[in-house]
Amino acid sequence: MPSVTSPMLKPPMLSLTAPLRWLVLVALLLSGCAAVPPTETPQAPVTADTELAGSPARSLLARAEQARDSGQNAAAGRYLERALTMAPNSSWLYRELALLRLEEGDPAAAEGLARRALRLSPDNDAYRADLWELVAAARAEMNDPDGADAARDQAEKLRGGRA
Amino acid sequence: MAKKAKTSKASRSSKKRKGNRQPRRWWSWRFIGKLAVVVLLLAAAGMIYLDAWVRDRFDSHVWQLPARVYARPVELYPGRVLSRNDMLKLLELMRYRRAAGAPTPGSYSTDGNTLVIHTRGFRDSDGGESAERIRVTLSGDRIRGLSGGGGNDSVARLEPLQIGSIHPGHTEDRVFVPLDRVPPLLVRMLIATEDRDFYDHHGISPRGLARAMVANVKAGGLVQGGSTLTQQLVKNFWLTQDRTLARKLVEMPMAVLLELHYSKEQILEAYLNEVYLGQDGNRAIHGMGLGAQFYFGRPLEELEPHQLATLVALLKGPSYYDPRRNEERAKARRNTVLRVANDEEALSDRDFQRYKERGLEVVPRGASPLYAFPAFIDLVRRQLARDYPPEVLGEDGLRIHSTLDVLAQLASESALRDHLNRIDGSGDRLNGSVVVVAPSQGDVLALVSSRKPRDHGYNRALDASRQIGSLIKPAVVLTALKQPKRYSLATPIQDQPITVPLANGKTWTPQNFSGESHGPVPLLDVLVHSYNQGTVNLGMDLGPGDVVKTLEQLGVRRKIPAYPSILLGSINMTPFEVAMWYQPLATGGFATPLRSITDVLDKDGEPLARYPVETSEVLDSGPAYLTQWAMQQVINSGTGRGARRVLPQDLRVAGKTGTSDQYRDAWFAGFSGNHLAVVWVGRDNNQTAQVTGATGALPVWSQVMAALPQTSLSDTPPPGVENVWMAPSGDKTSGENCRDARQYPMMEASIPTQSDGCGGGGAVRKAGKGVVDWFKGLFD
Repeated sequence: MPSVTSPMLKPPMLSLTAPLRWLVLVALLLSGCAAVPPTETPQAPVTADTELAGSPARSLLARAEQARDSGQNAAAGRYLERALTMAPNSSWLYRELALLRLEEGDPAAAEGLARRALRLSPDNDAYRADLWELVAAARAEMNDPDGADAARDQAEKLRGGRA
Repeated sequence: MAKKAKTSKASRSSKKRKGNRQPRRWWSWRFIGKLAVVVLLLAAAGMIYLDAWVRDRFDSHVWQLPARVYARPVELYPGRVLSRNDMLKLLELMRYRRAAGAPTPGSYSTDGNTLVIHTRGFRDSDGGESAERIRVTLSGDRIRGLSGGGGNDSVARLEPLQIGSIHPGHTEDRVFVPLDRVPPLLVRMLIATEDRDFYDHHGISPRGLARAMVANVKAGGLVQGGSTLTQQLVKNFWLTQDRTLARKLVEMPMAVLLELHYSKEQILEAYLNEVYLGQDGNRAIHGMGLGAQFYFGRPLEELEPHQLATLVALLKGPSYYDPRRNEERAKARRNTVLRVANDEEALSDRDFQRYKERGLEVVPRGASPLYAFPAFIDLVRRQLARDYPPEVLGEDGLRIHSTLDVLAQLASESALRDHLNRIDGSGDRLNGSVVVVAPSQGDVLALVSSRKPRDHGYNRALDASRQIGSLIKPAVVLTALKQPKRYSLATPIQDQPITVPLANGKTWTPQNFSGESHGPVPLLDVLVHSYNQGTVNLGMDLGPGDVVKTLEQLGVRRKIPAYPSILLGSINMTPFEVAMWYQPLATGGFATPLRSITDVLDKDGEPLARYPVETSEVLDSGPAYLTQWAMQQVINSGTGRGARRVLPQDLRVAGKTGTSDQYRDAWFAGFSGNHLAVVWVGRDNNQTAQVTGATGALPVWSQVMAALPQTSLSDTPPPGVENVWMAPSGDKTSGENCRDARQYPMMEASIPTQSDGCGGGGAVRKAGKGVVDWFKGLFD
C-alpha cells in the first residue's frame, strides 16, 4: 500500500528509539537538570493587532468598536461580520461577536461564539482563560451555575498553568 | 340622509298637487327653486363626502412598495482576490457607465490595471457608504491598491445589486423616489408635454381642454386628452380605468379638491410615483423610479435627457410606445417630447440636436439582474415568510440584504451548464443543482437549481429530495471516531461480503462498486475508496441508530429510520439539506444555521432586523478534525482525486462522492477553508442518469471551487490529536521509515501502547507541548 500522499507535519521531533530515549533521560538526570524541559518562550499577549495585523478587517474592527461604544449594536454586528468574511479564522473577531451578543442579551449565542473563538485561539493561556471566563459569564446568564463553574475552572487551570 | 330628504319632499309636493282643484302646470318657479336647493344640498353633501374621501385616501395612501432583495455588497480591499475581468463584469452588471474621469455616481474609467470607480452609495445597518470616487489597482488577480474613499482607505464597498423584489398578493411594483431626487429636467419635460398650465390651474384647465379639442379637431381624432396631471393622478389613484360617465363626473371635482388641500409639489410627487409605465409579465411597473430601472437598468438620477424623455413619452400609452417592442414609434414620441422641452426652453437647442440623434438605449429585458437568480430569490422568500406577514413584504418597501455573492453565483451557473453540456449534449436529459456556502458564517453564496438558471420553476436545490448514496459515509466514519478507544483511522475494517437480516424477514447483501472485496483495510480507506461492504460492516458494528444520532447532531432535521440501508445512503435529501449537515464537518464541528439574509432595512434605509451569525459546538474537536482529514484524503488519493486536475496541488480541500442505486443520482459535497459546495446531477424523472459522483458531479464541484478564492483547511491538529506512524496491522505504532508504515492523525486515546519495534514511538509531538507530555513521550 503506498503511503497516503497528504500534507503532513514536519518529521518527528522526538522519534527516538527506545534505548536512546533511556539514554537521554539518564543523561538529563546526571546533568542535574532533569526537571527543566526546553524553556518555553513567554507567550506574547493576544490583541486585535496581533490577530489582525495587516488585514483590512482591522479597520472594520475599529469601526465596530466605535459603533458599540455609541450603543449602535446592529452596526457593530454588521462591521464584525464583514470583518469575518475577510478573516474567517480570526479568534479575536469571534470573541468580539460573543461579547456583543452577551451585551445584547443573547447568552446562548455568546457561548457558541466564545467556544468558536476558543477553537481558533492562538496558543496563549491567558487569552484562552479570558475566553473561558466569557463562556462562564454566558452560562451564568443562562442560569447554568454548574456550567459556569466548570468554565471558570478551565480558566483557573490555564492561569495556574502559567503562574 | 340626502336621499331620504328628497323622497319626503317629493311626496309632499305630490299630495299638494292632488288637493288642488285647479289644474296647474306640474312645475312652478317655487318648485324649481326648491329643487335647486335640494340639488345644491346634495352636491354639497357629495362634495363633503368626496372631500373627506380624497383627503383620507391621500393622507393614508399606502404605496405598494414590494420588499427589494439585494446581493451582498462587493467589498474592495487590498489583497482581495479579484480579477480585472470579474471587476469589469461586476461593473457591467451594475450598469456602471464608462466615462472619462468617472464624473458621476455609477460611472468608471480604466487606465490599464487601474480603475477609477465612482460608487453610488447606499444605506446599510452599519450606516452604509456615501457615493465616492475610488481608485482600484488590480494585478495578478488581486486588488493591489485602493485609494480614495471617505476617510477610510483600506476598505470600500460597491452598492449592493438588486436581484429581485417580493410582492405577494398584488402585482404592483415601484421604487419610491422623493421629489427632491427627481431630476428637474424630467419634471419640466413632464409639465411641458402633459400639462403646460400645471402651476397655474386649480385642478382642471379649461385652456388645456380647449387646446386639446382644437388639436383633436385638427387631427381628426383623439390625439390629446386635455386632462391635467391632477386629473390623471385622481384617475390613477382613486378611480378605475373604465371610461364611465360617473367617473368623469367625479374626476373633475376631485381634482379641484385635491388642489385645494395639497401643494403642487405633493401632487407632482404622487403622480411621478404612481404613474403606470408598463407591464412585465404579471408585474405592473409603476412610477418613474422603477421605470428607470426597468427600461434603463439605472437609478432615475443617472438617466440622460433622452432617456428621461423616453419615460415621459411612455405616459401616452405604455404599451403602444413600448421602446422594446415598438422602437420607431417610441423614438418618434421621445423626440416629440424632446422638441416640446426645447420649445419650452427646458432643453437647449444644442442638447436637443444632440439627444434626438441618440438611440433609445433600453436594456434588453432578460438582461436585468432582477430576474437572473430566481432560485436564490425563492430561498430568500421562504426565509422571509417565516418572519414577515405578506402585507409587510408587499407594502413596506423593506430592503432585504441577502448573502448572494454574484460572482460565485455566476461561476456556479456556468460550471454546471458547461459540464452538463459536455456530458449531455442533447440538453434535455440531465439536470442539476449547486449550493455554495461560506461555512464559517453559514452564508449561502450561490444557489443554482437548473442548467438553465434563469428559468423559474422547479427549485432542485431546495425541493429535489434525492437519494444521497455515499455522501452518508463521513457520518458513519465520524460515528466510529467519536469512540477513540474503539476506533481510529488505522483500525482494520473488514471489507468483505456481509449479509444483513432485515426486519421484514429478507436479507440485504451490499456489493462494492467494483464488485470486488478488499479484505481488512484501514478505516480510512473505507472512506477514501468508498467501500460499501467495509462501511456496512463498520456501520453494523456501530449500529445504524448511532449513525442516525450523528446525523441529528450534525443538524439533519428530517426523521431518518435506523434501517441498515441508510449506511449506504438510502436516505432522500435535497442539496440544500446536504449543505446544512456538511457545514459542521467543514468548520471542525461548529453548526451554523445557513442564512440567505443578513439584514432587513426599512424603506429609508434604517435598520429593522439583523440575522446575526450563530454557531454552536456540536462535535468535539478531535473526531471532527479526523473526519475532515480523512475527507481530504478522498481528494488526495481516493474517489475525489479528479478534482486535482483543476485545483492547485497544495490547496487542502475535503469532500465525498455519492452515487445512488442504478446511477440515478450523482453527488459531490466538499469544502475548503472558506467554501462549501454541494453538487447534484440527475434526472427529474428519477431514471438512471448513467453518471457517478466522480464523473457527473465532481467536475462541476472542482470548477466551482477553482473559480472562487480559496483558503486551505487547517493542518494543525487540535489538542489531544497527534500524528502517529502506524504499522499496517493497525494495532501497533511504527516509525517513518518502516515498511508499509502510514501516518495518521490520532486521538490520544486511540494510540496503541505497543510498537512494532521499528522506528520509535511514532507520535509527532507538537512544539511547545507541556513538560509532562514531553516526558510521557519519552516513556511511551
